[in-house]
Formats: sequence, structure tokens, C-alpha cells
Amino acid sequence: MRTVRRALGPILRWESMLVVLLALICIVFNQRDASQQAAGLSRRDVFNFASIIRGLRPYMLYSFMTLGMMLILAMGEIDISTGASAALSLATLGVVYQGLTNAGMPNVPALILGLACCLLSGGICGALNGWLVTRFKELYSMIITLAMQLFFRGIAYLLLGGGTLTFRNDPVFDSLKKLYNTVAIGSVNVPVMLFWFAAPALVFTVWIHGTVSGRRIFALGTNRACAYFSGVRTDSIQFWMFALCGLMSAVTAIFFTGATSSSIRADAMGGYELYAIAAAVLGGFSTSGGKGSVPGVVLSLVIFGVMKIGLGTLYGFADSMVNLSVGVILIANTLLLGVGRFFPTGWGQGARRLRIKRGAALHPQGE
Amino acid sequence: MQRPTQTKPSLAFLLVRYREFPLLAVFALLLIGVNLRIPGYLNNNYLNVLKGASINMVMASGMLLVLLIGSIDISVSATLALSGAIAGMLMREGVIDSSALMFAAGILIGASVGALNGLLMSYGRILPIIVTLGMSYITRALIPMDWLLGLNKIARINLTDGFKTLLLDRGFLTLPMLVWIAAVVPVIIGLFLRYTRLGRDIYAVGSNESAARVRGVRVERVKLFAHTVCGATAGLAGILWLGYYNAIEKSTATGDEMFTIAACVLGGVSVTGGYGKMTGVVIGALMIATINSAIPQLRIGSSMITEFIKGILLLGAILLNVAVRRTAGRLERARVWGAGTSNSGASGAEPPAKRRVM
Repeated sequence: MRTVRRALGPILRWESMLVVLLALICIVFNQRDASQQAAGLSRRDVFNFASIIRGLRPYMLYSFMTLGMMLILAMGEIDISTGASAALSLATLGVVYQGLTNAGMPNVPALILGLACCLLSGGICGALNGWLVTRFKELYSMIITLAMQLFFRGIAYLLLGGGTLTFRNDPVFDSLKKLYNTVAIGSVNVPVMLFWFAAPALVFTVWIHGTVSGRRIFALGTNRACAYFSGVRTDSIQFWMFALCGLMSAVTAIFFTGATSSSIRADAMGGYELYAIAAAVLGGFSTSGGKGSVPGVVLSLVIFGVMKIGLGTLYGFADSMVNLSVGVILIANTLLLGVGRFFPTGWGQGARRLRIKRGAALHPQGE
Repeated sequence: MQRPTQTKPSLAFLLVRYREFPLLAVFALLLIGVNLRIPGYLNNNYLNVLKGASINMVMASGMLLVLLIGSIDISVSATLALSGAIAGMLMREGVIDSSALMFAAGILIGASVGALNGLLMSYGRILPIIVTLGMSYITRALIPMDWLLGLNKIARINLTDGFKTLLLDRGFLTLPMLVWIAAVVPVIIGLFLRYTRLGRDIYAVGSNESAARVRGVRVERVKLFAHTVCGATAGLAGILWLGYYNAIEKSTATGDEMFTIAACVLGGVSVTGGYGKMTGVVIGALMIATINSAIPQLRIGSSMITEFIKGILLLGAILLNVAVRRTAGRLERARVWGAGTSNSGASGAEPPAKRRVM
């Protein structure tokens, strides 16, 4: 058994499990699609590669937020204010743009300034979280961000005065919609957002798995005291990661503007933090920190997208049932990761990490 | 039997032990201030404030148990909606035909959701926030839209009206049943926490889990129990909601878990577990209800400012708690390690670190 495990070490990874899961889901949905076609319920196949790629669009919105959340989870913290800070960034974008254009500024620089303010306010929200988390160590980041969530949404409500800002007949503002378009590559309509997502995903992969500063995040999550005494500046890393997470929420907000035909509301993106946490956790980032990989997160985002497309189009589930499945996946997956502990979830450590874990299980005092 | 001589209680001890008194003073000041701005506020509509506070009060007394074991439950508002919706539907369909059964059904539904939370948390070893975040979505999804309850329109009029009058009409001592329930539940839970073994075990688990385990406390069961009680109070709150607002729908009480947690935290409950008292929670819940009802009448701005103020309030309460604990710790250190006052023989040792460096 041991030799088998050693030989299969590089394959027995969480990411491989995700690939298998994705394949299984696709097979099940494909069967369902074929049987529906055979029964004459639908005229054409609704579940194929092109439709999946095109349909991924609405489910890519929170992918940027997931990249930020991932870093927080890798440190063993949690940030449930991301949805609210994204809403606040969205409100900032709208208010700044409206204010500047009303003051007589040309539209294009106003939009650029608005986007800058949007990113800035997201970063400030995150930095505020980070400051509180590092300054008040007696408190869990969970409770701090829970309070900050209410606070950020409150400010967003105040900024917008409870109403909705729309820029319907504004060609410059509508250019944000291009972010939500698709481009035809061959016969497949690929969402532009996929390319926008690929850039930070690649950068994050190289950064957190391949560089010293990235590995320090995982060191922090594995053993904070050990990292501190090895010379890792734990407080500073924590602060900047929270700020980065806020920034990624603001990026989500910009894409969300494109998706919602340029109308801006303070209650936008409620529950996005759940999606982001669920996707990061399914991607292998344990909530207790120190584990996970970016490829896993990308896979899990695709899995969630495919699941939602399939459940919606093939089974006719309402939105709330999709939420239900997200909740079930979140809990079931955390249960599996916690109880099983069989599949290594780090990147580039594979079998060695597995052996260390097995060894640690034999001598539980190391726990 | 010789007892160790009791030293004079330190200022730090008093500060932590009697946190309720400053809080009570703040509450009194708040009431006086509001009453000055809105003449006759207390006489005219304080009963309404009490009614509004009651639902949150019931939930907060369950939440206290969960916070005491160092856990958190943000699925309470979803549990409230689920239990209210199911019980209301059963009543509309005529399955339940007495108010007592309504309460039983609500508590049962809530307790089962809470027990599921507790099971996943203590035996599945999942973080509380993950379990309850997931559970709140699952629970809300279980409330189908066609159960939308317009009870006053389509339900069996007799029972619903009876149920409503029972809850809202003036009863014993001119207070409605709703307020009485909100008064009795915290008293029961408070007495339970203080005088029973299981109640003390909850504090033990919260202040040091491994010590409690070594001491023989069945930590998993205690956690399961705390979450079950929290769910049960949320279920009871669902029934109260049904009687008070007469309708429940899918998005009922969304975000109200924040006010439940805020009531506890404002009352001095430590969110990391192990410290908190029911009296504080009651005052906290009353304060939140007062602020809730006073802000629209004060006309300090748009109604949107309420959200903002609630956020500030929750954050301020949490940080204030930390500040109080830190001050208490500093005073205690100064007392123990101060110039020659120590009688423990450790006066030559280094004082412990001021704050955690990591």
C-alpha cells in the first residue's frame, strides 16, 4: 500500500480529484442532456463545450474576489466583508463618476478617475480590515470582518442615498460593458473576462507558489509562531494580504458594473463572499491555513460554473437551489478535507508532503 | 476549615466582573437623551420598543451560549425564517391547531437546524463560520416561494387571530405575551448558565477547551448542546416573528444575525469565548432596540444612516470589549508585578510581555 501510494504520489493530488470531479459532472450532465433531447424536451443540445464556455460568464464575476480570498485563507484567516467592500467600491465608482461629470469634466478622464477611486476604496477597505486584524489580535478575523461588512454596506447605502445610479445613455460609461462581452474564437464565444482572469491567475500562481514572498504566506498559515521566529514579518504580510483581497473585490466590482448594464446599487453582490470562500475551499485552501494551490482554485471555479449552468438549464433549478448546492458543497468539502486528509493540496510538494503527513499521524504529539 | 485570606478585589477584577453597571449607565443616558429629543418617547411607545426588542432578545440569549463556547452562528436569521415559514404553513394547512403546538413546532425545527450545525462543527471539525455560512444558504433555500405567508388573508382566521391576540394583546401586568416570553427565556438560560453543571461546562469549554477536556468535560457534547439551544431559540423567535409581523417570506430577517451578535457583544460577551453574562445581553438587546426605534424619529438624516450606525455600533462594541480587557490586564499586571506589593515570591521575575508580538 505504501509503495503504491509513493508511486502514485504525484497523481494523488487534490487537483487531480477536482479534474475527476469535473469529468464526472460533465458526463452526468451530458447524459441528462442526451436523454432530454431523446425525449424531445429540447431541440438542440444545451450542454456542450461552447455553451459551457459562453455560460461561464456570470460565474466568473467573483473569480477575482476568490483569488483575494485564497490568500486570506492561506494565512488561516477569513474575510467575509469582501462582498460588502466590493459594493462600496462600486458605489464609489458611481458617485465619483457622476460627481465629476456633473462638475463638467469630460467623460473619459472622469471614468478613469472613477475606476482609480474604485480600486483605491477597495484597497482601503481591505487595509482597514488588515489593520484591525493585526492590531486587535485577541479577535478572530471572522468577527472583525463580520462587523466591517455591516459598516461597508452602510457607507455604500449612505453614498448612494438608498437609490440606484444608472448611466443608461452614457457611451463612455457603457464601455465598461465591453468587459462582459464575448469574442468569437473559431466557433466558440469566449468571454473577455476569461482573459482578464487569466492574467492575475498566472501572476498569482507564480507568485504564491514560486517566490519567497509567496511561500511566506503559507508559512504564516501553517505555523504563525514558527514563521514569526524564522523572521517572517507576519503582521506586515497579513496587512498587505487583506489590502490585496480588498483590491481584488474592487476588481470584481468593476466587472460587475459591466454585467449589470451600468446600474449601481448598494445591495449588489450580496453573498459573493460565500461563493468566493466556497470556491477557494473547494480549490484546496483549507480554512485553517497553509494549504492550497491556484490551479485548484481555477478548477473549482470552473466546476462551480459548470454545476450552476447544468443545474439551471438541465434541471431547471431556481437560484436558491443553486445556493443550496453551494452551501452543501462548502460543508461537504470542508468535511472531506478535514476528515480525509489523504490528498495533498499544496503545489509542488506532492509525495513528500504526504509522507510527512503520514509520519505526523503516527506521532500525534507533533500536532 | 481554613480558607485562604481574601484579598481586596482589584480594580481590574471589578472592571471585568461588573461590566453591566457602566453599560446600564450608558443605556440610561441613551434613554434620557432620546426622551429629551422626542418628548414623551418613554411613555408613548416604549411598549413597542419592548415588542421590537423581544425577538432579538430571544435569539441573543441563545447566541450567548454559542459565543461562550467560542463559536459563532450566523445562520440564526435563516433558521428564524425557516421555522416561522414551516410552522405558519402547517397552521395554514390545518395540521397545527393550537398555539402551544406552534411553539413546539418552531422550537423543534430550530433545534434540529442548530443540532445539525453543532454536529458538523464538533464531530465534523469544520470551522463554525463555514458551517453556519453554508447552513444559512441551505436553510434559506429550503423556504420555497409558494409558501409565502399572507396569514391574515388566507389562513384559518380563528386560530391565526387567536395566536396573534395571544402574543400581542395586553396580558398579565398589561404586558403582552411576546414581552413575557422575551423576559422568561433569558432568565431561564441565565439561571441555567449560572447554576447548572452543564452551564458551567459551557464557560469551561469557552475559556480553555483542552483544559476542559482534560478535566473530564465532554467538549463535543457541550458544543452540540450550545448550538442546539441557539437553534431552538432562533426557531422560537421565528414563531414570535410570525405573531408579530403576521407574515414570513424568503428574505425575512436577512442580516438580523448581526444585531443578535451585536446585542451580545454590546453586553460584554467575549467573541473568543469564555466570558459573558446574560444581564449584559439583555441590556445590549434593549439598547439596540432603542436605537433602532429612535433613529427614524430623531430625523438625523435618511433612514439609510441606520445601517451605518449599526455597523459602527457592532464594531465599536467589539473593540470596546477588547479595550476593557486590555485595561483590566494592564491593571492586573501592575498590581501583581508592581513595586514590592507582590506576596507571591515572584517579585524578582520579569513581568510578562505587554502584548502578543506575533
